[in-house]
Amino acid sequence: MRTAHVRPARRATAALVALALCLTACLAGMVAPRQASAMDVVRCTGRPNSSDDKTVIQGATQSRITFEATVEEGEGVSVLTLTIPQDTTFETDDLAVTLLSGTDLMTRNEVSYDLEVVGQNLVFNFDEPLAQAGHLNIIVYGVYFPQAGGDMQVEATYRLASGDEHDIEGIPVIPVQGISGTEALSQWLEQQPWVQAWNANRFLHLFFDPTILVTSFPVVLNGFFMSVAIVALSFPLAIPVALVLALMRLSKFVVWRGIATTYVNLMRGTPLFLQIYVAFFGLPLAGIQIPNFPLGVIVMTLNSGAYMCEIFRAGILSISKGQTEAARSLGMNRVQTMVYVILPQMFRIVIPNLTNEFITLYKDTSLLAAVGVMELVMYARTIVASTGSITPYIVAAAFYLVITLPLSKITRHLEESLRGGKKRKRASTAEKGADAQKEAAHA
Amino acid sequence: MAYVSRRALCTTGATAALACVLGLAGCNGGNASGTDAASGSSAGSAASASGDVTTMTSGTLTFATSPDYPPFENLENGEYVGLDMDLGRAIAEELGLECEYTNIDFDGIVPAIVAGGQADAGLSGISITPEREEQVDFSDPYYVDNQAVAVMSSNADITEDNATDALNQEGVKIAVQSGSTGEAFAAENFPNAELVSFPNFTDAFAAVNSGQAVAVCGNSAVVQQMLSGAYTDLHTVYTSATGEEYAIAVSKDNPELLAAINEAIATLQEDGTLDELIAKNMG
Repeated sequence: MRTAHVRPARRATAALVALALCLTACLAGMVAPRQASAMDVVRCTGRPNSSDDKTVIQGATQSRITFEATVEEGEGVSVLTLTIPQDTTFETDDLAVTLLSGTDLMTRNEVSYDLEVVGQNLVFNFDEPLAQAGHLNIIVYGVYFPQAGGDMQVEATYRLASGDEHDIEGIPVIPVQGISGTEALSQWLEQQPWVQAWNANRFLHLFFDPTILVTSFPVVLNGFFMSVAIVALSFPLAIPVALVLALMRLSKFVVWRGIATTYVNLMRGTPLFLQIYVAFFGLPLAGIQIPNFPLGVIVMTLNSGAYMCEIFRAGILSISKGQTEAARSLGMNRVQTMVYVILPQMFRIVIPNLTNEFITLYKDTSLLAAVGVMELVMYARTIVASTGSITPYIVAAAFYLVITLPLSKITRHLEESLRGGKKRKRASTAEKGADAQKEAAHA
Repeated sequence: MAYVSRRALCTTGATAALACVLGLAGCNGGNASGTDAASGSSAGSAASASGDVTTMTSGTLTFATSPDYPPFENLENGEYVGLDMDLGRAIAEELGLECEYTNIDFDGIVPAIVAGGQADAGLSGISITPEREEQVDFSDPYYVDNQAVAVMSSNADITEDNATDALNQEGVKIAVQSGSTGEAFAAENFPNAELVSFPNFTDAFAAVNSGQAVAVCGNSAVVQQMLSGAYTDLHTVYTSATGEEYAIAVSKDNPELLAAINEAIATLQEDGTLDELIAKNMG
């Protein structure tokens, strides 16, 4: 029994000692080579090349590898071998090899070298062993990662003037994603003879480049949802605002009238563009912090409210006075008259105008692009700026039309039915009149 | 009614640019078969003083620029000032041409050069990138710039010592100019951060100042200029010698102009004028 107790204890101690030894060895192992080999990796990144997501690197699309490692004073690195991951192609025509020096590492020193390319290995034989402290920065252009993507591990070894070879350890992997469907389609299109013929025409190339059309479509679609979300929130919110403003403008009290009139005149008298600027850069300075999206919705609501107020006011005024008088004579009070008699008739009349306002509001969400709200135009604009093609704007235009064309058709229909309805009424009263005349004639 | 006036008021830079280029397209519609960049309005284009260079308007070299990017280009009392602007005038002088600037939003410059009819060349702190090279030709570079990140000086969370990690965090908002190399740089080096894009670089600084973003990332020279001028509450926490090259964009249909500009840049580099201009504008 006793021995049985002692044994596990001993084992535990032994295990602990072993663990401690192991840890020390590990630590020593980690530290020791660092001291001997002073080249440490600073960064190893690939240039994002996806139009869907600015931070995504995808396969089979042009990218660039930036590799940077430290060089110690007097180290004397004579050869550096950079191993590009398997199945990744690259160009060696314009490699950039620079030694960044100085305390802020901003001084660029040209490094002269002989390049040898062995398979995936780029072997830089430096004319002079690198002895100046700084960061060695190598940029490899024209890199195409494998189509399927995966974690790409760049490897690097270097040889000192003394002939010692060392690996540079801990180089971060470059996460590469498989090529997206649209990107693959775009590349396929680029190879097609008809696309090449199409793009040979300057106008078609600039405005309707099929390769950019397919890649920008899913990106701009994100903006479409954003724009629709903004308008879907701000339009219904603007209706009560506008209604209150309209009633204030029609109020008997000067103060209400004054407030509403000033507000409406201010909002309608200044460009929405400026109102957006004031809201986005002014309010935070006044200590009011609201995130981009709700702030955008609020500005659009307040602006649209002023325009809708005028629609409602005109609508209310267009209801004949007889309606009010009739309602009042039935014993309804002011509020009841407004709620049960005037407003229901007013809404019917203003629906076409409201639809127009909806269209205007939807298009005006594009102004939010100026303050960094990622809506339709902003997404398109980003691609335009980086590709230099107008095509994404055309895609954006299509997304506006998807909403505005059906809506204007509905507006026309509503307007016609409204006018038609009145005509029919008139026609029926005329018929009745005619009937009465006939009856009178008979008699 | 009310809507009409409102529509007229609400033209964004983007729509304006689009309308602008649409107008252009109308101009070029006649030669849709794509003969010459400098046709359309310039039916009467003639060789300039230097002999073999064709420009839009005979005797004048027109540059498209977006003057919101000091110290490279901005407007001071209606005058175009900055390194690019001085360089443009020097190049035009070398070529024996009049120098003229036309104001186009940055993202509209490359399309305008492709379409032709608006300007002969784009000179607006344009970095050479593979995407842009598909659309236009670039001259030899005249300036090498780096990237810098600035935050509010009062921000204790992001300092020069921890910037590399502190900026690459979930929830950190970095303001950038849309389509700029600063945007690409931030996406490559701070993939976890959230990028907020502004069409106008000045607004990216305003966004940091007003708390809409934590940091601003962009070309070093411009960041330094902004920090020494309008935005003294910010300070630089991170710089990287990316060595991106600024060059002049020229239509692919006008190799003669490209060659002439390259020649002029080489001359200005040799006689020290370029260095003088850089020293003068970068302070």
